Amino acid sequence: MKRGEDVKASKLDWVTILIVATLAIAGWLNIYAVVYDSQVDQNIFDITQNSGKQLLWMGISVIAVSLIMIMDFRFFDSFAYGFYGVVISLLIGVLLLGTVVSGSKSWFEFGFVRFQPAEFAKFATALAIAKFLVKPQIKVDNLKTIAVLAMIVGLPAALIVLQGDTGSALVFGAFVLVLYREGLSPVIVLIGVIAVALFVLTLLFGPTVLIGALILTGVAVFLYWLITRKVTPKRIWTLLFVVLIPTAVILSVNWVVTDLMQPHQQNRVKAFVNPEADPLGYGYNVTQSKIAIGSGGFFGKGFLEGTQTKFDFVPEQSTDFIFCTIGEEHGWLGSFILIALFVTLLLRIVFIAERQKSKFSRVYGYGVAAILFFHFMVNIGMTIGLFPVIGIPLPFFSYGGSSLLAFSVLIFILLKMDAHRMQMLVR
Amino acid sequence: MNVKRSILLRVRVAFLAASLFAVAILLRIGHIQIADGEKWSAMAEEIDLQYRQVKATRGSIYSDNGSLMATSLPFYRVAFDPSVVEGNVFEEGLDSLSHLLADYFGDRSSQYYKRKLLKARDSKRRYVVINNKRVNYHDKKDMQGWPIFRKGRLKGGAIFEKVDLRFKPFSHLGTRTIGFINENSNGAGLEYSFNHVLAGTDGKALFQKMAGGGWKPLYDGSEVKAVEGMDIETTIDINLQDVAESALLRALKQHDANYGCVVVMEVETGHIKAISNLSKNKQGNYWELYNYAVGQQGLTEPGSTFKLASMIALLEDSQIALMDTIATGTGTFEYYDKKMRDHKRGGYGTITVAEAFSKSSNIGISRLVNQHFGLKPKKFTQYLQQMGLTEPLDFQMKGAGTPYIKSPGDPTWSGVTLPWMSIGYELKLTPLHTLAFYNAVANNGTMVRPLIVKRISKAGTVQDEFRPQVIKESICSPQTLQQVQKLLEKVVQTGTASNIKNADYGIAGKTGTAQKVKAGGGYEKAYYTSFAGYFPADQPKYSCIVIIDKPKGYNQYGSDVAAPVFKEIADNIYSRDADMHKLFTESINREIGVFPVIKSGNLTDLQLICNELGVSNHTSTDAEWVLSKRNYNSVKWVENDVSSLKVPNVLGMTLRDALPILENHGIQVNYSGKGRIIKQSMQYGSNITPGAKINLVLG
Repeated sequence: MKRGEDVKASKLDWVTILIVATLAIAGWLNIYAVVYDSQVDQNIFDITQNSGKQLLWMGISVIAVSLIMIMDFRFFDSFAYGFYGVVISLLIGVLLLGTVVSGSKSWFEFGFVRFQPAEFAKFATALAIAKFLVKPQIKVDNLKTIAVLAMIVGLPAALIVLQGDTGSALVFGAFVLVLYREGLSPVIVLIGVIAVALFVLTLLFGPTVLIGALILTGVAVFLYWLITRKVTPKRIWTLLFVVLIPTAVILSVNWVVTDLMQPHQQNRVKAFVNPEADPLGYGYNVTQSKIAIGSGGFFGKGFLEGTQTKFDFVPEQSTDFIFCTIGEEHGWLGSFILIALFVTLLLRIVFIAERQKSKFSRVYGYGVAAILFFHFMVNIGMTIGLFPVIGIPLPFFSYGGSSLLAFSVLIFILLKMDAHRMQMLVR
Repeated sequence: MNVKRSILLRVRVAFLAASLFAVAILLRIGHIQIADGEKWSAMAEEIDLQYRQVKATRGSIYSDNGSLMATSLPFYRVAFDPSVVEGNVFEEGLDSLSHLLADYFGDRSSQYYKRKLLKARDSKRRYVVINNKRVNYHDKKDMQGWPIFRKGRLKGGAIFEKVDLRFKPFSHLGTRTIGFINENSNGAGLEYSFNHVLAGTDGKALFQKMAGGGWKPLYDGSEVKAVEGMDIETTIDINLQDVAESALLRALKQHDANYGCVVVMEVETGHIKAISNLSKNKQGNYWELYNYAVGQQGLTEPGSTFKLASMIALLEDSQIALMDTIATGTGTFEYYDKKMRDHKRGGYGTITVAEAFSKSSNIGISRLVNQHFGLKPKKFTQYLQQMGLTEPLDFQMKGAGTPYIKSPGDPTWSGVTLPWMSIGYELKLTPLHTLAFYNAVANNGTMVRPLIVKRISKAGTVQDEFRPQVIKESICSPQTLQQVQKLLEKVVQTGTASNIKNADYGIAGKTGTAQKVKAGGGYEKAYYTSFAGYFPADQPKYSCIVIIDKPKGYNQYGSDVAAPVFKEIADNIYSRDADMHKLFTESINREIGVFPVIKSGNLTDLQLICNELGVSNHTSTDAEWVLSKRNYNSVKWVENDVSSLKVPNVLGMTLRDALPILENHGIQVNYSGKGRIIKQSMQYGSNITPGAKINLVLG
């Protein structure tokens, strides 16, 4: 095969394509189910309805994917920083020229089409990380490298936070997974996980109990060492460190929640901690979502038969809370199939990433997997109350053109590179 | 290989994390759907979905000319959800909003509202009623522009809940007839009787509970659309109703009576043009508390007005002539153990049958009936039946009283029943029924069913129409009818009600004074006074009944208490209804070439004119307004009394003079033509009723 020649169909990973297509079509049907109103003789192709619009976007995505397929596979490698630069300028541009939609200024509006650059920041960032890590001298174990990587990830994330779309910004945290694969010390990951766990525990049990428990444990350990005569200055310092840092984290929780977070974010945290406290107020979304899923039972109510979803009980029904429709209309079984599809997709992507010859495509592949995983985990997690409500879409499933297009581009760049993996120079 | 192992480990960790998470999700969903499934399903129905009634808009009640008498207007209750308002918006708007609220509602200080709003916000309330007072649509629009509120429902927290309120534009007028209906569907009057028409059909729809306690309708195909209520068009004439009510009220106050009612009916159609019921409440004020004219409680012994029925029966069945005589003796007559008395001390002696009726002699009428029907009382009740007095009227309003008339077979029938029945005792009729009977006499013997609702319509299109219905084609023979009509006219001309005689038009009617039945039996010294009749006597257009119960003071008889109310109402109708007017003219003696035509005017003006023109004139009076009289070759001025409370004589005056005089008397003037007044539609010297109108013809 000559360099630059069109990729042969046989080289494409059809398993992934099949799963993606299945998800997209299932998503489309569900969007129809959400807007479905038995009183009106509706057509799933009706362009004025969400379902029709989604179909249009599916068409646009297919065109975009076809374009990717006929491009040179090295294009993405060569222009990785270029993409990144364009996306960063768009993110800055949207802050200046964007349209405000439900509180966040993250949309460009062209006539009736709206476009959200944050969605595209994800794959551009993944490309940039891959490009950066490709250099042979780079290792993810020194502080400088980590600092640069943090910059690459942090810049778009910060711009997105400024737009008022914290949910999308959090997605960038998923790149930690990529770095972990590329050699980031598990200790750092562990510290992150512990910090998050402490944060959540504080919310659940309050700071006094946790700090009390920490100090008591510290005193107990100290006394034990005293009795067993193992007290060394180094140990005392370590112990102090281990007790004081978490205490600081715990004490910061209140400050983070009340001063850093916006009121709607505070409410989401409150709803997560105690969803029953105000089921019609800030706990509304999740309560409604649980009611919808809970009323589905094992087999579900059947396609278009859901009442909770159909009546728009659940806010953001066709976007962030689309999973409820599955839960209600298709029950546990439907949910199981959907989750199985996602897990298969994720594992398949990790598998594809692992089989790459070039580091660039491997890192990129992990980026894709990390982003998809984060979306999948957080989106479904929030609809069933495992996570606080963070407004991010379910890939390929939620209504939304930018997100569908961005995910398609994200995945098909990987598939394009995968198809040419034998032509890649091993670096 | 350490690196490779490490990588493998990391990949496995990643795989494991994803899989673990997937399992966690499935378990969680399983828990929600299967373990807690019932709880969530129940919650779905309880909290969120409810079939709720959608109130149909109630129909309106109109008067005969389309004026609204009762209608439902949308009002709003103002509530507030402080939790959705952003901090700076709330703080900036709080003071001015409190101020505006205090200003608008006017019941509390702005400090009160400020504290209320602040407290609601601090305690994180999501729904607080600001004031229970309902706000109309216009004010609601204004309020939506107020600080904080102007941010709308979702950001300003303003909640306007629509409540339909029943509104009666003529507040107190005929309130009991318009009636009411409460939440338990109990009520009275037209609102109650025609509820099935007015109410419409409430709809049903699935509602979703919204944060903050509101309900949002959902359309899922299962809802039942509310069907708006239909409107009813009554026969009530608002002006007449007002006249009737104020005349009745004045009389009731004057006589400190217990209660009273008035019904005015159009003779030909049976349309009730006015119906008023006023009774004294505990505070001594008169209100529409019960529909005595129609209802069961209004059912009483009618007394002398019933003598008309006896008279008809007598004339129908016998050869009796009105000029025949009957001995009434010295004012008492004994039937078995019971004494019957006449009102006049010492009695009427021997009088004609006609006099017995017009003077309302109890003894005269009862003796005639007893003589004639004593052996065949069945016959008498058959006549009553033929007159439509024994059967219920089947009136459009619910709860109408049914007549109670004994028949000879009844266990309570005794030897004294017939004579007492003949003068309106031992039987019960509602005032409306008595009126329908008198109306039949006015209507050439045809008894029509009283009507109060003539049409049912929806959005202006007629759905159902109630046409005049005949109950009895003829209640008696034409000869009898003519005779009783004359008798009724006589009552007013020379009989008991001669105090209401007037020159403009004839009234025919009968007074009634019944002694009230004591609670423990027997009769007390208190009366139930009435006057039933119709006018104009020669061409009856309206019939009317006036009841005044338990008048106190010197005047306690129907002629003194009820009849003047009748007259006041009749005069008013007459003065308003120019169709009934006969124009009164006086021939003007024109002496061509001798005098200019001067008939009437201001003395100084006329003197000046005549002196200037060299017309000899002299006066016998120094009154301001004068009439001209010819005295040989000169004019003599005589006083024209315009200061009395009667209709002044303006014939011959210029309009410039007549207008202030008439208007000072409270008479509305319509005129046509040019020159001096040659015709005036109200006879001078007649009484003036409030709201009277006069037509003047100039020429």
